[in-house]
Amino acid sequence: MGANEVDFARKVFASYYGKAEFRIPKIEQREFGIGNQKKIDARHLNFGNAQEFRNYLCNNTPMFVSHSTSYYDFPGASPMQKKGWRGADLVFDLDIHAEGKYGAYAHLGRVREDVIRLVNEFILGDFGVKKEHVVVAFSGNRGYHVHVRDPAYLALGGDERRELVDYIMGQGLNYTEFFSLEGRPAKLIGPKPSEGGYRGRLARGTIRLLEESPGTLSRLFSKEKERNFFISGINEGNWSRTSLKSNDIVERLKPVAANLPVNSVDTDVGVTQDLSKLIRVPNSIHGDTGLIARIIDDIAKFNPWIDARIPGGAPIKVRFIEDVPAIEMDEAVGPFKKDDELELPQYQALFFMLKGSAIISDAKD
Amino acid sequence: MEEGLGFAVKYPFSASAKAALSGTELNERIVDMAIERLKKALKGDKSVKMLLHDSDRKEEIASYAAARMILGHLRNNFLTNSFAVNESKKVHDHLDKEDVKTVDAVAAEFGIVSGSAGGKMDIDLPTYLKFSTRNPHYRLINRRLICGRVEITYDEKKRLVEEAVRKHIEIIPLVKDPPDIIKSAGKKLVEELPKTESRIIANVKEGDHPPCVMRLLEEMKKHQNLPHQARVFLSSYLIAAGMNDDEITGLFSMLPDFSEKVTRYQVGHIRRKEYNVASCATVMTYGLCCAVCKIGSPLNWHSLDDYRKKAIREGTA
Repeated sequence: MGANEVDFARKVFASYYGKAEFRIPKIEQREFGIGNQKKIDARHLNFGNAQEFRNYLCNNTPMFVSHSTSYYDFPGASPMQKKGWRGADLVFDLDIHAEGKYGAYAHLGRVREDVIRLVNEFILGDFGVKKEHVVVAFSGNRGYHVHVRDPAYLALGGDERRELVDYIMGQGLNYTEFFSLEGRPAKLIGPKPSEGGYRGRLARGTIRLLEESPGTLSRLFSKEKERNFFISGINEGNWSRTSLKSNDIVERLKPVAANLPVNSVDTDVGVTQDLSKLIRVPNSIHGDTGLIARIIDDIAKFNPWIDARIPGGAPIKVRFIEDVPAIEMDEAVGPFKKDDELELPQYQALFFMLKGSAIISDAKD
Repeated sequence: MEEGLGFAVKYPFSASAKAALSGTELNERIVDMAIERLKKALKGDKSVKMLLHDSDRKEEIASYAAARMILGHLRNNFLTNSFAVNESKKVHDHLDKEDVKTVDAVAAEFGIVSGSAGGKMDIDLPTYLKFSTRNPHYRLINRRLICGRVEITYDEKKRLVEEAVRKHIEIIPLVKDPPDIIKSAGKKLVEELPKTESRIIANVKEGDHPPCVMRLLEEMKKHQNLPHQARVFLSSYLIAAGMNDDEITGLFSMLPDFSEKVTRYQVGHIRRKEYNVASCATVMTYGLCCAVCKIGSPLNWHSLDDYRKKAIREGTA
């Protein structure tokens, strides 16, 4: 990216930061890191209050700004041991890695589905965290960050956090152990939909599959009578109300079980486990995309291309310096060929500039 | 429920033990008892004395506090962790003989408060995570978990208390300038310590083994207690890596509850039965995986080039 583009981006960022609303609890206890060339070029910064932080962003305007998930007595001290660790938010990083510079964006919807499941089923459901302690933010690029600020979880160490990630990812999940043969004649006793954790999830997932796609588990269940009889059994924890053999039923549940964990968390276990990690400041701008790491109130309705763009700004004429595939933003954008020159809305122009695919057109030669 | 000094003797970390000690002066007899207590920990001796008089009981409680002072002065991981393991096992033995009320009172010292739902005992998730051991049986995935409550049994609750005691004792505040009798007691004790630093572990370089193995070796170096599965995994790995029984037993001598006889038998057994080295998936279920190597088996580490090994260690692979 050339100097013109950097100057332009900084001006847009600075003007946003002048009015941006940050909601950073205990800002004075957090360590900050900023980056221009990389995500983090310098760390161990700290700010006494939100105004100091805003002034810093308006005057210095880094491309990336992150804060610690941890709280410290002396957040500006270094090395880490001197900071005096006080606890840390529990943070989950869900993102997608795909081929190419633009490959991930088509899959953002899938990550969003995982975020919804992570929050509703695991964090609020299994872990029993209250909704007011959970903040979901767009990462500004290829995923989402979930911040859990429940005081009961602040003191957990790295190993204990890893245990939670392993649970969410289903590490070591052996669903066959949920079943046993009991009584005479032997009945297959298994989980009920009303149960918590993976047991209940398996039962509910099976019923959902039977209702939405009846023939998948077995052709037998295409018949409504057979299907309803089987489902009535599952509701009571009796999985034998079918002519299928017990071990055959358990075997056929494999694909249901495989879909129970949240799979996209596994890309960044380190974010949750590593207590010295810095995470993008919610509502700050991601310097690779120009999109805001927006705090999300209703994730089901969130569309990054609309809700996370920097508001305002006049359209900008850009020239592409490499080929870019078509991307489904809030509208279909592209494809563009090298040397294409055209006017784009500010957020799109910024996005392609920061991606290193376009330059400001007037800057030519 | 037992109260007063009887309770405090068995649970010397409790608030009532601290209260019982007020006004007690440190003297030579108490320090000698502390040394004795620490030596017993090194031998894994969990026996307890019958104490009839209140003065003896107070001294016994004070010996625990004095032992902690010695440990805080010495900062010797091996000694501290041996003491923590032995004392926590003693507590478990006591709990096995106690009534429910007493067990609850000891558990409450560490914030372990169980509730009940549908006739089953449960505790809150953060407390469970803090005090459950790294053992597949206690892994969250294998537990019933509803709305932040984990179902446990009464026996498991006692095991959580044991772990809480161990962790509590392992964290010992630094005693910078102790009284002279503590200093000389520390000196005397160190002279009698077995020489445990293994040459093998001292020669291990970063990158020699996969991160999960390195981490276990690192924990061993700090004389931390390792769960059973970790020991089995490490033994089978080291056998496959070409180490002999003497070398492996030498390594395990750094563990706070080391017993040469048991270790030799178990390492020999693993060799004779040709135990397979656990795959990465199994290491993960044991809760021992600590990196994203994507190599399938820890043994495949040795076929990686240095660049990739470094990237995995730094988390940039």
